[in-house]
Amino acid sequence: MENEGKTVLITGVSKGLGIELCTKFLDNNWKVFGISRTKTEEIIRLQKSYEDRFSWKSYDLADTDNLKQFFNELIDKEALNAYVNNAAVAYDDIITNVQLDPLIHMYKVNVFSPIMLTKFVLRNMLLHNVMGSIVHLSSISVHTGYKGLAMYASTKGALEAFSKNTAREWGERKIRSNCLVAGFMETEMSSSLTPDQKNRIYQRTSLKIPTEKSSVASMVYFLCTQEASSITGQNIFVDSGTI
Amino acid sequence: MESKLLEIFNVVLRNRGRSEVSQLTENTHLRSDLGLDSLDLAELTVRIESEYGIDIFEEGIVNTVGEIVNKLNALK
Ligand SMILES: NC(=O)c1ccc[n+]([C@@H]2O[C@H](COP(=O)([O-])OP(=O)(O)OC[C@H]3O[C@@H](n4cnc5c(N)ncnc54)[C@H](OP(=O)(O)O)[C@@H]3O)[C@@H](O)[C@H]2O)c1
Repeated sequence: MENEGKTVLITGVSKGLGIELCTKFLDNNWKVFGISRTKTEEIIRLQKSYEDRFSWKSYDLADTDNLKQFFNELIDKEALNAYVNNAAVAYDDIITNVQLDPLIHMYKVNVFSPIMLTKFVLRNMLLHNVMGSIVHLSSISVHTGYKGLAMYASTKGALEAFSKNTAREWGERKIRSNCLVAGFMETEMSSSLTPDQKNRIYQRTSLKIPTEKSSVASMVYFLCTQEASSITGQNIFVDSGTI
Repeated sequence: MESKLLEIFNVVLRNRGRSEVSQLTENTHLRSDLGLDSLDLAELTVRIESEYGIDIFEEGIVNTVGEIVNKLNALK
């Protein structure tokens, strides 16, 4: 069967885009290792529907100290073909109000843990001679400024730089790394925006509508497949054509 | 020299399309004698960790085969 035995690690699978990503990979016969803090109804549903191909474990990615042990327990001896860094938090406020503690928390979840996980993923791929693919979820806020998103956007900018350099460093081993730059999607992350704020954001896109989660998930999936074998070190925009 | 360790070195050399070695001495230098670069050394570390459960580069740079053997012996 096509893709049989292919495996992916996806973070932030309990809601929003994470569910969509899991479903996309599972429907294409991949085995999915999923991480989030909470076990939602959707997680339980995926566990029921895909039993042996969906392996979920709870972890708080703000805990950077126990990540190695957790990774080893979750992945065990399996070879990984792909890693999708999807979990993130958005700490939004104007810069004059920024507080260090929530800023550090956001950097742990959005940047430090993903960098450490990339270390473990690359080592896994080296051990198993896998020409794997890494995809980080970035945000259009890196490229188009939005009031209140400076701190959040800075974490995604860090990931874009990290991804570009990962691609350069590991390209000769045929390990690829890309960023998927997503536009505003209707998920819990954007739920604190007022309808008026949302509308203004959508007016700044060519399509004038929110970015579809399914469109983002399909592109992430494509980047993890062999068909994307010549694509690395790129930022791919799936954002309703932000202008 | 344990044959398991020798085999790990040879897997790394083979993966880089280099010729295998039949023996290693304590003084064999990883970079200048075996021609391993930093990515090769990363692969070597990972394979040794998988076999022996120790990350040989965790506490700094390792230059020779002897230094690796010492770290592995310290485990016993
Ligand atoms: N929504 C947007 O408009 C938008 C736009 C551009 C980019 N993005 C990016 O797209 C990705 C998905 O976003 P989304 O909209 O789906 O967000 P979401 O609905 O808020 O989901 C975030 C996911 O991350 C997990 N997560 C958060 N903190 C965590 C922690 N400390 N440890 C482990 N998991 C944690 C959450 O699980 P638990 O809460 O169960 O831990 C959840 O599964 C993110 O990287 C986001 O930055 C989103």
